[in-house]
Amino acid sequence: MKKLYDILSLQFELADFESKRSDLAFCKVKASQAISLLTHLRDIHGYTHLVMLTCVDWLEDKQFQLTYLLHNYATKTDLGILVFIDRDHPVMDSLHHLWKQGRVYQRELHEMFGIDFPGSPGVEEPMILEGWQGPPPMRRDFDTKAYSDETYSHRPRVQNEPEQHMKEQLYSED
Amino acid sequence: MENLYPPIVDGKSVYDLNSQKYLKMWHGPQHPGVTGNMSLELDICGDQVIKCNTHVGYLHRGFEKLMERRRYINCFPIVCRICVPEPDTNEYLFAAAMEDLMGIEIPERAKWLRTLNLELSRLASFLMWIGGQSGAFGMGTVAQWTMAHRDFVLDLFEEWTGARIYHMYTIPGGVRGDLPEGWDKRAEKTIAAVHKLLDEINYVMLNNAIFKQRAVGLGVITPEMVDAYGVVGPNARCCGLQRDIRKDQPYLIYDQLDFIIETETAGDAYSRTVVRWKEMYQSIALIRQILAKMPRSGALHATLPNVLHLKIPKGQTYLRAESTRGEYGYFMVSDGSAFPRKVTVRGPSYTHAMALLEDLAVGVNIADLPGLMVSLHTYPPEIER
Amino acid sequence: MNLRDILSPFFVWKRAFEKPYSINTLSAPRPGAPAYRGFHKNDVSKCIGCGTCAEICQNVSIEMVPVATAKDGDSGLRPKIDYGRCCWCALCVDICPSGSLTMSNAYTWVEEGLDKDVRDTFCYTPGVDSKPWDNEPLGYKKPDGYELLLLDRIPMPHLSPEERLSSFVELVKGYSRELAIREADRCIQCGICTATCPAHMNIPAYIKAIREDNIAAGLQILYDTNPLPGVCGRICTRLCEDVCALSHRGDAISIRWLKRYLTDCVEAEDYKDILKTEIKPLGKKVGIIGSGPGGLSAAYYLANMGYEVDIFEKTAAAGGMLRYGIPEYRLPYDKIDKDIDFITSLGVKIHYNTCVGKDISFDDIYKRYDAVFISTGLFEPYFIGIKGEDNEGVISGLKLLSDVTEGKEVSLGKHVVVVGGGNVAMDAARTARRLGSEVTILYRRRDEDMPADREEIDEAYEENVTFITQAIPLEINKLADNRLEFIWGKAEMHFEEGAKRPQPVLIEGSRETLVADTIIAAIGQGMNFAWMDGEAFANIKFGKWNIDADRWGRSSDQKIFIGGDMFNRTADAITAIADGHRSARAIDKLLNQ
Ligand SMILES: Cc1cc2nc3c(=O)[nH]c(=O)nc-3n(C[C@H](O)[C@H](O)[C@H](O)COP(=O)(O)OP(=O)(O)OC[C@H]3O[C@@H](n4cnc5c(N)ncnc54)[C@H](O)[C@@H]3O)c2cc1C
Ligand code: SF4
Ligand code: SF4
Ligand code: SF4
Repeated sequence: MKKLYDILSLQFELADFESKRSDLAFCKVKASQAISLLTHLRDIHGYTHLVMLTCVDWLEDKQFQLTYLLHNYATKTDLGILVFIDRDHPVMDSLHHLWKQGRVYQRELHEMFGIDFPGSPGVEEPMILEGWQGPPPMRRDFDTKAYSDETYSHRPRVQNEPEQHMKEQLYSED
Repeated sequence: MENLYPPIVDGKSVYDLNSQKYLKMWHGPQHPGVTGNMSLELDICGDQVIKCNTHVGYLHRGFEKLMERRRYINCFPIVCRICVPEPDTNEYLFAAAMEDLMGIEIPERAKWLRTLNLELSRLASFLMWIGGQSGAFGMGTVAQWTMAHRDFVLDLFEEWTGARIYHMYTIPGGVRGDLPEGWDKRAEKTIAAVHKLLDEINYVMLNNAIFKQRAVGLGVITPEMVDAYGVVGPNARCCGLQRDIRKDQPYLIYDQLDFIIETETAGDAYSRTVVRWKEMYQSIALIRQILAKMPRSGALHATLPNVLHLKIPKGQTYLRAESTRGEYGYFMVSDGSAFPRKVTVRGPSYTHAMALLEDLAVGVNIADLPGLMVSLHTYPPEIER
Repeated sequence: MNLRDILSPFFVWKRAFEKPYSINTLSAPRPGAPAYRGFHKNDVSKCIGCGTCAEICQNVSIEMVPVATAKDGDSGLRPKIDYGRCCWCALCVDICPSGSLTMSNAYTWVEEGLDKDVRDTFCYTPGVDSKPWDNEPLGYKKPDGYELLLLDRIPMPHLSPEERLSSFVELVKGYSRELAIREADRCIQCGICTATCPAHMNIPAYIKAIREDNIAAGLQILYDTNPLPGVCGRICTRLCEDVCALSHRGDAISIRWLKRYLTDCVEAEDYKDILKTEIKPLGKKVGIIGSGPGGLSAAYYLANMGYEVDIFEKTAAAGGMLRYGIPEYRLPYDKIDKDIDFITSLGVKIHYNTCVGKDISFDDIYKRYDAVFISTGLFEPYFIGIKGEDNEGVISGLKLLSDVTEGKEVSLGKHVVVVGGGNVAMDAARTARRLGSEVTILYRRRDEDMPADREEIDEAYEENVTFITQAIPLEINKLADNRLEFIWGKAEMHFEEGAKRPQPVLIEGSRETLVADTIIAAIGQGMNFAWMDGEAFANIKFGKWNIDADRWGRSSDQKIFIGGDMFNRTADAITAIADGHRSARAIDKLLNQ
């Protein structure tokens, strides 16, 4: 897979090649080149199957990592294309014209992470969260625990820690 | 009276819903033809679908988010819930992704037991699907038979793993215990019964005039559509593609087992049914092979670091397995902490039930729509994780 | 459409006559599978209330509720399970270190009484709130062949027995970083051990620091409760390990060796930086008598609080029994020095070779200081009480050990007999082995009754010490060649109800002989208050054995506190340290509040 990477590097600005297994590798590409790289991989190199498109929120680095995972049925290898975009202004080119399921993935990422894919059909339609007012919930700064504590009531309970409890019972200071 | 309102089936023409010629109709989310909750928003003309929009969101449990706040071991009991009818693929892939990131090799015997577990659950899942497929075409009796047989398979699971649906058996590092005494015998009895049932299904369903009438030519998937829509599994094999992850990228001990990739060529609902029906025979044969060849002694579980403090080195990986619906995958990212940074679950229904179904539904008679949907074997819970 | 397709479905008409699949569960209930994961059961007498089940439960279904009073090794808490949350994953069962938690194979539970408190609806404490399935033998148990806990201790590298006998080099080599982290990883962080540790050291916290490779934080945690961690990391009696949650189904965590690892990781020079001691002098003075662990511990904490501390020590070096009792191969002198040097670096003054009662009077000290802490230990060896004990060549274990410490020439001869089965006996015997003698230990009861640490007994065996058990010393005679004839008799064990250990009774007429060059008595030691004098002494009330004191070590004279071996019953270093710390806090209360 390193070979493929070297060939692609002639045309695209790639970085951080990481070979995870003999049949799985990841590399980074500039956001502006991503869609043409994907097209190239699909049409020239046999990576015809878009396995998935997903996002990892690197809150600390203020970045979203979009991962386009492509599979080549002939060589039985997977290539993960990583694209890092600005978390505060998350916009990415759409790939709905390359794979039919692309628009569904993009719609989900728009809803869950707030990433915009201009031109992707129906990208702004809510997929799961009709009427949701809060921030895109899959972002790491959305705290589900805090949300559920505020929204729902819990059965009251006291959690006793063995160490503390034993201290109180056996040797607490007077 | 014929063709008073010629249906618009090209998916592009503009039509006016207020013209009284068309009707908007909701199919689901509480429809018995759907496994789990999902709804189809249909524009219909007469009884023909002219537009279909899949709506999900009735089952969103936020598993991927939950996992970000749980220790790895605590993700183990929840991943199975991502797909109700076939939870074991999730257990396997979650564990395998963890093991891959940690560089852990699991014991040989655990691999065999995991494979047995996957094949048995494949059988259960297919039995449930036949029920859906026959039921959707009004053949409720067949559904009763297969659901009962699924329950017999679940009895086996109950005895082996301690639970019927959510087995929580494939734990990171290996498996949770051995087969009980005498289980093999009971398993053989059950799968022999399933085998007999499959033979009968050939008569009542595959060679049933009504079923053929409705399923042949319904929802044709062409080889060109396969990659364009991300179609996998039997849905891809029904139009002649020889693709099966168990063969192409063998995991566990599939490379030591004898089986073939079943395919058909027509690409319609009928050939999908046939592919799955044939695959069930393969599964039965696989289960028999595993029971015959499986090592009966040796470790079941690799020693993991303390699961309460376990941290996984920084990295990311993707693992896939062939589920009844095709490629199931786990993309796992670790930032070196005790919680997964991100786990993305690729359920095959994601592409099948959304982009693909929406296009295949156009032009279909609404009475056939449940049959079409089930013929894609979609499980809504894996769409919304 | 062909005719075959129309007829084909009728091929299966015979199904109509088959037995229905459904079963009537009312007339023939179908029980769960033998290993079905149903509602929980807990053997509450086995459960130790460690809360690990609650810790692993991803649904937060488990609330630890108090059901009994806490005792050593058992918090008295028991898991109460909320079935509105439980998902029956049974991870709690799998991880339960005591093995008390299991599940029944019950499928159904009908809760009666809708007026119940919401906190109790579909919630119960297995084993405490009775349920129909309590005595059902079937249900899920942790399967064999898989284990979430790490039950096996990471082995500690030791010197081989041959290497040991040729020198006094430390026998335990200590964990490397990798081994220590792996051992620390085994700890489940339950904190059960903390209550049993006499000093209540925050064990889980420093083990966590090791796991996270945060040595500095670990050292700080050690010093919160123990200013002699390097010493305790080697010779502690480790009562904590006896109750460690993991000891129920596996090996206890090596708490002692982990403590040692922490202190070995830090160079003496770096202690100051890491422990960041900032002392604000209060202008008050405390006098301490005895520089054993009790005295040193009190000195450390008092100095930290801002008191001026003087220690009076009759010997030429500090440490008490740590130095003069415990042999070097278990506790090297430089390790004692490392801990003590840090204490003296805080400004604690030790007046060596100053025996109170001889070189300075007790009264003097009492008058000069705002408070006095006494920890003079047990230094009077007991006699065996048999004829001929006053012969030359009969010595006490303590004498041998302190002579070796002081570097005196010691010649024991070829054959040595040690009388006793405690740690002092083991230390004396093994020291004699290192000096080249052949050693026989004589003990009154059985092997398993020996009070010495099992590890030490085993090591003595490894070092080829001969053990004679159930042996009662009868008399010692001087032989013509200046050697000693040791006469003993065989004993029978008498078991009395309620007694912890059986009583040895001499078998009438039994009489065996051993010939030895030296006989070492190591059967215990006692205290002595002859050195006390003056007005203060008159104020102190004595009990049957000892000075009367409350749990703070406060005697009837509110300025005088006692601690260490002369006060507690465990007579080990860590209890002396705990005493010193406790009395320091009490002294602070007295002087500063
Ligand atoms: C051989 C042996 C092995 C042991 N092994 C272990 C072990 O493995 N683990 C463990 O935890 N414990 C062990 N112990 C016990 C442990 O050493 C003691 O419990 C501990 O040292 C008690 O501390 P202390 O402060 O009470 O008194 P000591 O340590 O006895 O210290 C008393 C100090 O007071 C001084 N002193 C006495 N009288 C006067 C006076 N009049 N004026 C001035 N100074 C005076 C003494 O010189 C001595 O330095 C062992 C003891 C012995 C004898
Ligand atoms: S883990 Fe076991 S021993 Fe610990 S509290 Fe729970 S039931 Fe009791
Ligand atoms: S079975 Fe699972 S969910 Fe239920 S209490 Fe135990 S750990 Fe929690
Ligand atoms: S050392 Fe043992 S008792 Fe103490 S916290 Fe760790 S596991 Fe629990």
